[in-house]
Amino acid sequence: MAHDVAAQVRGYMVVFGALLVLTLATVGVSYLRLPETPAVLIGISIALTKAALVAMYFMHLKGEKPMVYWPLGLTAFLFVGLIAGLLLSEGDHLFGTQFGDAFTTD
Amino acid sequence: MEIPYTTEVRPDTGLTNPKLGIWLFLASEVMLFGSLFSSYVLLRSGAPTWPVQHEVLSVPLAALNTVVLIASSVTMVMAWASLAPHAAAVRDRLRSPNARAMASPAEASAEADSLKRYRLFMGLTLLGGAIFLVVKAIEYGDKFSHHLYPATNNFLGLYFTLTGLHALHVIVGMIVNAYLWGPGTRMWRSEPERFANRIEVAGIYWHFVDVVWIFLFPVLYLL
Repeated sequence: MAHDVAAQVRGYMVVFGALLVLTLATVGVSYLRLPETPAVLIGISIALTKAALVAMYFMHLKGEKPMVYWPLGLTAFLFVGLIAGLLLSEGDHLFGTQFGDAFTTD
Repeated sequence: MEIPYTTEVRPDTGLTNPKLGIWLFLASEVMLFGSLFSSYVLLRSGAPTWPVQHEVLSVPLAALNTVVLIASSVTMVMAWASLAPHAAAVRDRLRSPNARAMASPAEASAEADSLKRYRLFMGLTLLGGAIFLVVKAIEYGDKFSHHLYPATNNFLGLYFTLTGLHALHVIVGMIVNAYLWGPGTRMWRSEPERFANRIEVAGIYWHFVDVVWIFLFPVLYLL
């Protein structure tokens, strides 16, 4: 038992270290002033990796029962659907027509 | 009325009720924050011009807050890890007719140490939450002193809405954690497994708050 706990704590520390490195990487990449598309892709990819580490190890999602995965899978599907639905229905500026003066500038 | 399946696993779900409950609640939270993130994408992509975010906001303060919140997630999971392995042993001893006689000095010492460690780590988690809120208050104060308000432009409207809602979640988490650090600890002496499960469920919520910030940091400050 004591050995299991010690291994578990070591695992948490490794994840902590990885999260700190990834945070440093996020900030570092932002100073490269990359064009918008690669900057967004890299920034979101790092955030997804960090979120996955927290969910898998700290939230104990790794090895969790299927009854947790099903609602979360449905949520992920609905989340993507929400963003896609909104952009496809309202974001015609992304696919051709620009909104006129619907948005204020600074 | 006794709440069923707080410690024993429900046969049909394979989970305790609190754990299933917190995950379903967090699913609704994903949609809440998802709607705001969608608004951000729509408004930013449709705006002819958009402020250079890292010039308006403080990246060093936000990076500090990211580290603080991640560290508080680590201390939260350590608080749970301090208690959970001892919960079954404490329960068995409590159920025994001669409970006091059952615990050897070594066992009693290990159990007392585990509670002390739990309090330490949960206290550090609370401290992390408090530091996060203080830094956030400094950031807000700086914006207000420069006459930057939610109504100033779409970006600041989204910034204050998203970070304000997130800060509200931090406050709620801190209230729950403070209860579990203080008066809630009594349950450890009567229902240790249930108490350990409470810490795990409160932890899952706290880590979710961390996950939301992990996305807010690059989206609002860096990109």
